[in-house]
Amino acid sequence: MALQPLKGRAAWIFEEIDFDVDQIVGVKNIKIKDVDELARVAMASRDPDFAKSVQPGDLLIGNHNFGYGHPHYPPMIAMRKLGIAGVIAESFSPGYWRGEIAMGFPQIPCPGIIDNVGRWDTLEVDWDRSLVRNITRGTELAFEPLPEADRLMLEAGGLIGYLHQRDGSQEKAEP
Amino acid sequence: MGFTIAEKILARAAGLDSVRAGEEIKAKPDFVIAYDFPGYTDVIFKHMKDEFGIDKVAEPERFALFIDHMVPAVTPQEEDLHQNTRDWGIANNVPVYERKGIGHQVAAELGYATPGAFAVHFDGHISQLGTFGTLAIGVRRHLLEAFVKEYIQIKVPETTRVNLNGRLRRGVMARDIFHHIVRTLGPASCRFQVLEIGGSAVEHLSIEGRQAINCLAMFTGAITAIMNPDDKALAYAKERARIDLEPVFSDPDATYAAVHDIDISDLEPIVVVPPSPANTKDLKDYAGTEVQVGYLGSCASGRLEDLRIAAEVLRGKQVKPGFQLHVVPTSQEIMEQASREGVLTDLIAAGAFVTSSSCDYCFGRLGVMSDGQRAVSTGTLNVQGRMGSPDSEIYIVNAAAVAASAIEGRITDPRPYLEG
Repeated sequence: MALQPLKGRAAWIFEEIDFDVDQIVGVKNIKIKDVDELARVAMASRDPDFAKSVQPGDLLIGNHNFGYGHPHYPPMIAMRKLGIAGVIAESFSPGYWRGEIAMGFPQIPCPGIIDNVGRWDTLEVDWDRSLVRNITRGTELAFEPLPEADRLMLEAGGLIGYLHQRDGSQEKAEP
Repeated sequence: MGFTIAEKILARAAGLDSVRAGEEIKAKPDFVIAYDFPGYTDVIFKHMKDEFGIDKVAEPERFALFIDHMVPAVTPQEEDLHQNTRDWGIANNVPVYERKGIGHQVAAELGYATPGAFAVHFDGHISQLGTFGTLAIGVRRHLLEAFVKEYIQIKVPETTRVNLNGRLRRGVMARDIFHHIVRTLGPASCRFQVLEIGGSAVEHLSIEGRQAINCLAMFTGAITAIMNPDDKALAYAKERARIDLEPVFSDPDATYAAVHDIDISDLEPIVVVPPSPANTKDLKDYAGTEVQVGYLGSCASGRLEDLRIAAEVLRGKQVKPGFQLHVVPTSQEIMEQASREGVLTDLIAAGAFVTSSSCDYCFGRLGVMSDGQRAVSTGTLNVQGRMGSPDSEIYIVNAAAVAASAIEGRITDPRPYLEG
């Protein structure tokens, strides 16, 4: 199995370092379970037209240590509902990273991205060459290849698919 | 070149002679630990059975469950969750520890902090088992992997070493050291790494203070923290240890991603200002800020030294009328000892609201704040809405400062209360 290339526009650039993703839906909405409602409140405080502007396949851009704090799952559940296909950031906070990779949601650590993208630029992630291409600007940046387990998890669509794929290997399953 | 303690522990857990940072390995956790919480344990139990057809875990002695959140239950749904956990424990022959205190502390009391062991949990504050030379990593939902596979796939982390030197002044506590580490190194300094803490100051720190520091590793970006266990740590852990392992230690020529020396001699009490655990400031710059709530407890703080110093500050004094001071010892064992020493008596006499151990005050399930209220807290975290309304605020300070602030109703340097 191989990862599908990601291609979409930079739907938002989170310029804050140590960005707390809970801010995407707002702390007062963090316990909402209904996905449609989450999608409705997402980004409301930053761009009320966000949901209308986003197209399936669009990407989010983050700065250093994206996901710091005490990240919950609803913000990115909302973003996926809106069609966001992945996050490209300077670097990620480990707790956030693990959580979203387990959901099968692509996260791409790409040093330099924050200074080399404008909102709505079209970007393409080339997994085989570990490159992020800015098609609008005609530039490209190398990203840090993912650890094997994380890559396998994305290929399998998340943690459960990944663990199923390991069923066939020689290792001993429990019990 | 030598190896770090983390590399040595993971090598053994992987059944290999040695491993180096950066290698991808499959390692077998000695302990798989969790507390019951919606979306975690209930989902893990369900996936085990429905997705993987596993009725019972093999080697149940490797597993431990705690009921420490939502204790006591306030809705039938919460009690259902707990009952589901108890039933699963019985069916799997896995111990479920309930009403004994906050699991990360009770795990140490019960010997899961075996020096040299490798442990996983979904919650990152399990890092505090590193106090005893245990490598304990919080992996969030990936914990399912440890329930359905004998081995978990992991990239051997790099290690950043922090040497603490000097001695703390009175009224400055282990919590201040940790927050000073964040201030000095930065909140992303140890991303995906192990934070290894050593240096000449450690021997002067109590086990409890070390637990407080190691508990909070995640706020440097680290996936855990660890100390090379000294005689004090081994004396605590070896008699409790659940498995027979030789402690391991970092080699003097181990390879580190970075080495930092931090002198704590001149450190002053710190306040971590909302809404981020990275907002570390000197308490004196925020002294006088009005606060209405105080929380002394959590898996980071709320141990005997915290309770004792709070009692010392409050002895013969009174909590300001209208101020809500919640004191929640980290475990029942700690509470019992504090009771025997008369520490609880002093706190109660001063007007503190003292309750049995629970995680619930830390994450805004009990003792919640309304709009505009502010707390001083020894809880783990100060993000927006953590202890109630999104329009309330949490100022993290040490236990002595919580007590002093409770007397004055504003953020207060505890040191004048500790003189003489």
